[in-house]
Amino acid sequence: MSEQEQIETLPVLPLKNTVLFPGLMMPLTAGRPASIAAVDAALSSEGKELLVIAQRDAAVEVPGPNDFFSIGTKAVVKRMARQPDGAVALIAQGVERVVLIRIEETEPYAKARVRTSPVPEEQSTEIEAMQRAILELAGRAVQLAQPNAPEEFARMIAGNEDPLRLVYLIGSLMGLPVEKEQALLEAATRLDALRLLHSYLLHELQVLELRNQINTQAQTEMNKQQREYFLRQQLRAIQQELGEENPEQAEAALLRQQLDEAHLPDEVRKEAERELGRMEKLPPAAPDYHVIRTYLELILELPWRKSTEDNLDLQRARQVLDEDHFDLKEVKERILEHLGVLKLNPEANAPILCFVGPPGVGKTSLGQSIARSLGRRFERISLGGMHDEAELRGHRRTYIGALPGRIIQAMRRAGANNPVLMLDEVDKLGRDFRGDPAAALLEILDPAQNHSFRDNYLDLPFDLSKVFFIATANTLDTIPQPLLDRMELLRLQGYSEEEKLEIAHRYLIPRQVREAGLTAEQFTLEDEALRHVIARYTREAGVRQLERAIGRLARRVALRFAEGHTGAVTITLGDVPEMLGPERYSFELTRKQLPPGVATGLAWTEAGGDVLYIEATVLPAGRGLTLTGQLGEVMQESARAAQSYIWSHAEDLGIGADVFKDTGVHIHVPAGAIPKDGPSAGITMATALASIYSRLPVRSDTAMTGEITLTGLVLPIGGVKEKVLAARRAGLRRVILPAENQKDLRELPENVRSEIEFILAERIEDVLAAAIPELATRLHLIEAA
Amino acid sequence: MVWRPLADIYRTRDGWAVKLDLAGVCPEDVTVVTRGSQVYISGSRRDRIIEEGWNLYAMEIAYCHFERVIELPDELERAAISLECREGMLIVRLARNEENQ
Repeated sequence: MSEQEQIETLPVLPLKNTVLFPGLMMPLTAGRPASIAAVDAALSSEGKELLVIAQRDAAVEVPGPNDFFSIGTKAVVKRMARQPDGAVALIAQGVERVVLIRIEETEPYAKARVRTSPVPEEQSTEIEAMQRAILELAGRAVQLAQPNAPEEFARMIAGNEDPLRLVYLIGSLMGLPVEKEQALLEAATRLDALRLLHSYLLHELQVLELRNQINTQAQTEMNKQQREYFLRQQLRAIQQELGEENPEQAEAALLRQQLDEAHLPDEVRKEAERELGRMEKLPPAAPDYHVIRTYLELILELPWRKSTEDNLDLQRARQVLDEDHFDLKEVKERILEHLGVLKLNPEANAPILCFVGPPGVGKTSLGQSIARSLGRRFERISLGGMHDEAELRGHRRTYIGALPGRIIQAMRRAGANNPVLMLDEVDKLGRDFRGDPAAALLEILDPAQNHSFRDNYLDLPFDLSKVFFIATANTLDTIPQPLLDRMELLRLQGYSEEEKLEIAHRYLIPRQVREAGLTAEQFTLEDEALRHVIARYTREAGVRQLERAIGRLARRVALRFAEGHTGAVTITLGDVPEMLGPERYSFELTRKQLPPGVATGLAWTEAGGDVLYIEATVLPAGRGLTLTGQLGEVMQESARAAQSYIWSHAEDLGIGADVFKDTGVHIHVPAGAIPKDGPSAGITMATALASIYSRLPVRSDTAMTGEITLTGLVLPIGGVKEKVLAARRAGLRRVILPAENQKDLRELPENVRSEIEFILAERIEDVLAAAIPELATRLHLIEAA
Repeated sequence: MVWRPLADIYRTRDGWAVKLDLAGVCPEDVTVVTRGSQVYISGSRRDRIIEEGWNLYAMEIAYCHFERVIELPDELERAAISLECREGMLIVRLARNEENQ
C-alpha cells in the first residue's frame, strides 16, 4: 500500500480472457504447465505473490515476452487446491497495479520484473459527479439486467467510497471484453477510469434497453391473447354466478336435444354424439367449432327415416298426369305401372328413368307432374356443365369451406327420403382431370349400391334407394354406356303441328292468358292464326318458342285492355303479322325443281327434324371424292360407300364407265357451318350421285333417309317421327324410308300418316326408282332381265 | 479485501491487552500504531514454515497483508506498545504512559 515505487521480480500467471483488478478476489485455474510452475513458485515463496497479467491474444498457449499487456496486477494467492487432472485452482486477490518492466526468464515459468504503479490519489468535484453518475447508471443497468437482484448488491456497489474500487468492482461485474477491462486497469488517473467506465455503462444500458424492448414486444402479443382468455373465463364465471348457461353450452344442449328427438339410425347417432362431444370441448372461437356445428345441423336436417306417403290412388294419378301433359302415353303408362307395383309391394325400389327428347317437349315439367301424381316431393339438380366429381359427392370435411355434394343437398331440401329427384341434362356432364361425375352417378343410380350412398362430407351411409330418379337428356350420344345401362329410357318425340295446336289450346294459351292478367273470355286465338304462328314463327320440336309467341300475343292484348279497351279480343290470321312482326320462317326452302345432282335428305337434330339438300357435282379435271359441309367421320364413310356402290353398279344404272375415269366428284351438304354426322344420309348421297352421273333430276317432292351398305341394302335409322314431321313442314309429300322403319310409323299422328306417301325401301334400287323417275324404267328393265 | 484477524480485548491493570488470532505471524512482521483512541494493527503473514522438498498440495491459510483497527475508550497516543508471540497468538500490550513515566 505504499505510495513509493517498488521493483520486484514475480512469477507470471497469464490470463486468457479476463483481468484481475487490484483489491478484488477472483477464482482462477492454472492449467498450462508454465502457469502451474509459476503458481508453485509463488506458493513456495513466503509472500505467495505472483503477477497476474492478461494475454493480448487468448489463442496463444505459450506466451512469449511480447504477448502480455504492459500492465498487470500483483496478486496474493489466498487459497489453493489441486485438481485430479493436475490443474491448480486458486483464489487470488489483487494487491496493486504493476507495470511490466521485462520478462526475465521463461523457463520453466515466466518471471517478470515489475514496478508498482499505483493510480495517483486525487479528489475533485468532477470525480464525485462521475462517481454518482456511475452509481445511478449501474443501478439502472442492474434493474434492467436482473430485476430480482438482491438489494445487497446495490448496497455493495454503493458502499465503495474509493472511486477506483468502484470502477474495478463494476467493471469486473459487467462481463466486459478483455480489451475494455484492460483499458480500465491501464487508466492513468481515477478520472480517466471513471470516464471510461461511464461510457461502457451507457453502451451496456442501451443494449439492455433494446433487449427489454424486444422482449416486451413479444410479450404484448402473448398478453393480448391471454387477456382475451381471462376475460372469457371471467364472463363464464359471471354467467354461472347469475345462473345463466353460457351460449355455447346452450347451443350444445340444444343440439343434443334435437339429436334425441331426431330418431337417427344407430350408426348416425353414434357419429353425431362423437362430434358433439368434440364440439363441447372446443372453445367457440376455434375454427373447428363451426365446422362441427354445421355438420351436426346437416345430420339433423337430413331425412334419414322420414318419407312422404305415396298417393296410391291410380285414378287420381292418371288424372293429374293428363291434366299436366298432352299425350305422352308411354311415359304415363310407365308411371302408373310403378304406382301399381308400389301398391302391391311398398318396399319396391323406385325405377330410374331417363327422358330423352328435344328441348321444350316437357321433360322437366313431366318430372314435376310425376311427383305431383305420386304425392312426393320434387327436387331438381342440373348436371349441365358439371365436371367435378366432388360437386356430386361433396368434399371431405378436412377441407376449408367443404360442402356436402348436390345429391345430399337435394335430399336435405326435399326433407323426405323418397322424393322425385330430377337429374337434368345428364348428357351435358363434363369431365376433366378433377374427376368424372358420370362415374359418381354410376354409384348413385345403381339400385344395388345406392342404399348406402356415402357422401364425402357426410361420411355416413345414406339410403337413396327410395328416391325416384329421373334423368333427362337431349341426346344419348354423350352419355357413357354404363350409365345408360342403369336407366330405363323413355323417348319424348317432337310434336307435330296438330299436337302443338292441342297443347297450345289446353295448356299454353290458358297459362299465358293468366300470366298476362287476362280472363279466358277476353282472349281468343283463332285456330287459323295459331297454325300460322306454329308454322311461320316457330321452328322447334318442343313448344317453347310457341309459348313465347303466345305470351307475346297475350301481352299485346293486355296492353290494349290497359289502354282502356273493353270487350273480348279475337286474334285472326290477319292480326298475327301486325302483333308478332314479319314471319320468321318460310318454306321457300322447298325447291320447286331440282337440277341433276341434288337430292332431298332428312336429318335429325336435337331441336327436332330438318330437311337438307345434298348437292353433288362432277369435277371434269378433278380426281376422287371431295366432301364439304362439316361432315363427321361416319358421314364421310357413308359418302364413300355410296360412291363405291354407284361406281360398281354404273352399268346397271346406264352410266358410261368412262365418266369416272378423268373426273372427280364433290358432295356438299348445305348449312355448311353446322357439324353433321351419322349414316342416315347414305341413300340421299347415293341418289345425288346417281342423279349427277346419269344427268337425270331427282323428284323435288320426295325426301329420303336411310343407311346404305356396299351391297346396296338400305338399313334402318332413328328419329323417324321428327324427320317425317320436318318433311311435312317443308311441304314434301313423299318420304322414302328404310323398310325396317315401318314400325316407327305407328308413332305418327293419324293425319300425318294419311297425308304423306311413304315408300319403304329395302334396297338402294328401290330408292333410286322412287326418286328418279327416268331411272326407274332402266332399273325395271334390269329386274326383268 | 484485506484479511481481518479476530481479537480478544482485555482490560489490564496498567492498560490494555489485545490478543489477536495471528498464528504464524512473527512480531517483526507486525506494525502497531496508535492514533487517538484507536489502535491500528497491520502486517502480513509470510509462509516461513516450509522445509526443503515441501510442495504445496492445498492451501487454505491466507498469507497476505492483514489489518485490524480497534477502538478503545482511552487515549492511547502515548501508550507503550509491546508485542509477544505465544502459542500462535499475538499479544499486543498497551501500557498507560503514567505507568511508564
